[in-house]
Amino acid sequence: MAAPTSRSLEYLEGLPGTTFFKLYQQPSTALAIFRRMLPDLAKCFVMALLYLKDPLPTQDLELWVKTESKKQRDNALSILGRLHILSTTLTGENARAYMVTNPFASSLRQALMGSEDSQSFGVFSQAPGESLISIADLDEYARGRWESVLGYMVGTSALSGQRDVNLSKGVKQLLQAGHLVEIRDRRVDITKDGFGFVLQDVNTQVWHILILYVESAEAIGMDSVEVLSFLFLLSSLELGQSYEKEQLSSVQLRTLADLADFGIIYQETPEATRFYPTRLATTLTSDSSALSSTVGSSLTGASAHPGASGSGFIIIETNYRLYAYTSSPLQISLISLFTTLKYRFPNLVTGKITRQSVRRAIDMGITADQIISYLYSHAHTQLRKRDASLSTSNTTSIPPSVLPPTVTDQIRLWQLERDRLRATAGFLFKDFTSLQEYQAPCQYAAEIGVLVWKSDRKRMFFVTRHEQVAAFLRSKK
Amino acid sequence: MPRAVRGLLIECDPSIKAMILKYDEERHDYIVEDLDDENHLVIKESQLQSLKARLDQDLDEKIMQLDDSESE
Repeated sequence: MAAPTSRSLEYLEGLPGTTFFKLYQQPSTALAIFRRMLPDLAKCFVMALLYLKDPLPTQDLELWVKTESKKQRDNALSILGRLHILSTTLTGENARAYMVTNPFASSLRQALMGSEDSQSFGVFSQAPGESLISIADLDEYARGRWESVLGYMVGTSALSGQRDVNLSKGVKQLLQAGHLVEIRDRRVDITKDGFGFVLQDVNTQVWHILILYVESAEAIGMDSVEVLSFLFLLSSLELGQSYEKEQLSSVQLRTLADLADFGIIYQETPEATRFYPTRLATTLTSDSSALSSTVGSSLTGASAHPGASGSGFIIIETNYRLYAYTSSPLQISLISLFTTLKYRFPNLVTGKITRQSVRRAIDMGITADQIISYLYSHAHTQLRKRDASLSTSNTTSIPPSVLPPTVTDQIRLWQLERDRLRATAGFLFKDFTSLQEYQAPCQYAAEIGVLVWKSDRKRMFFVTRHEQVAAFLRSKK
Repeated sequence: MPRAVRGLLIECDPSIKAMILKYDEERHDYIVEDLDDENHLVIKESQLQSLKARLDQDLDEKIMQLDDSESE
């Protein structure tokens, strides 16, 4: 589950420091960032430092980590620094010391210990609950919504006809703005980015969409910081509970309405006084991958079979035949992106992964890894079971694999076959009169990390950027 | 006097390089500089797409495919 973290992390790191200052005012944001964005070691550091009165000298902190784990330590510290959680100051004895920065520290303390009347984590709806929505209903709603978004992208809505939900204009615009789809002649065409998107797991997809949403918020006159911190608030809500809308600001209400279109929250009517977060919202900042994989499957394939909840539906054999127990038009069209489908039954489609079908997919911009990770995340329990029995019976250190290795290797090989050459844009430096004249700039190019290729014999080298090297050459004259 | 030339550095198998060299013989419109080792050369930036398409087409024709039938 590294992908969603990295995508949202990347986005956050790009924000200016003042944005962090505003974000960290909210305990829910501080907690969400702490839970979701930090590696374990970084969490340890924050926890250890959170209740210290004085900054901790850097040397003391370095003692906590064994020398062989220096890399992890530096990584953790650098992430904390980039997220503006940890800062360095000087102690009385003029030694460098770490401390947790303030709005974050106080907010996280508040989140952990509670406070008088913080509304940061939402307010439970106290209204008499005659029409309580069950968790199963919420899941069903979220699944339907999300599938219709994906269905719109891959163009299944036309196939299945009665897909009950119509996407709002906002949703379509967002998908277009994010270059996931393009509208040509009033027809929806999915882009390469879009293909990558639909094959990802749900959690990554939701983050992707939300980041697009936050980015576009400014354009329609909403404060992106407020939207972002509201998203973090939503992510800390409890599934199956309803929450009051009364305290929400107008920006938050507007966000709420937009998120309902995606199935991230549920409200009976736009005028309702309360809303329910769905599983899409509550797993946003959760660390447990088990939970999100349940969502993944309950949201996608297995939903057609309530009995098989929490499991994948794809069986793939070593002879490249693929059996997918699903009736979802979305899943079928996703599978058909890289498989030659052969038969379709009410609850099963079968096909074969062939060189042709994989190449077709690769031509559309899908990578082998995306195909493999899609197959992996939707692998049937039978495949996983077989894998478990194999890995227990055989104690050698062959890494367990759910998918047949011949198939995954072959998919990768088929992709390689397609990429017979690797091209790097740049500049070739040539016509050096002497070896000495050649060596100095070549070495310089290597030092600044732009050198791609060189030949001492021909006195030529190839760089990705020429400005600095050219300046270097001029300065030598 | 050293010079810098804009281009695309291509890294590929010797067989692919041989094919590119052959294409270039026709009109000399691909290669900027042949780098004299087995798997590198510099080509014009604008030609990458057409070169790729041409390679794919030729490779499809020339390489024999085992077990590519879609039948059962």
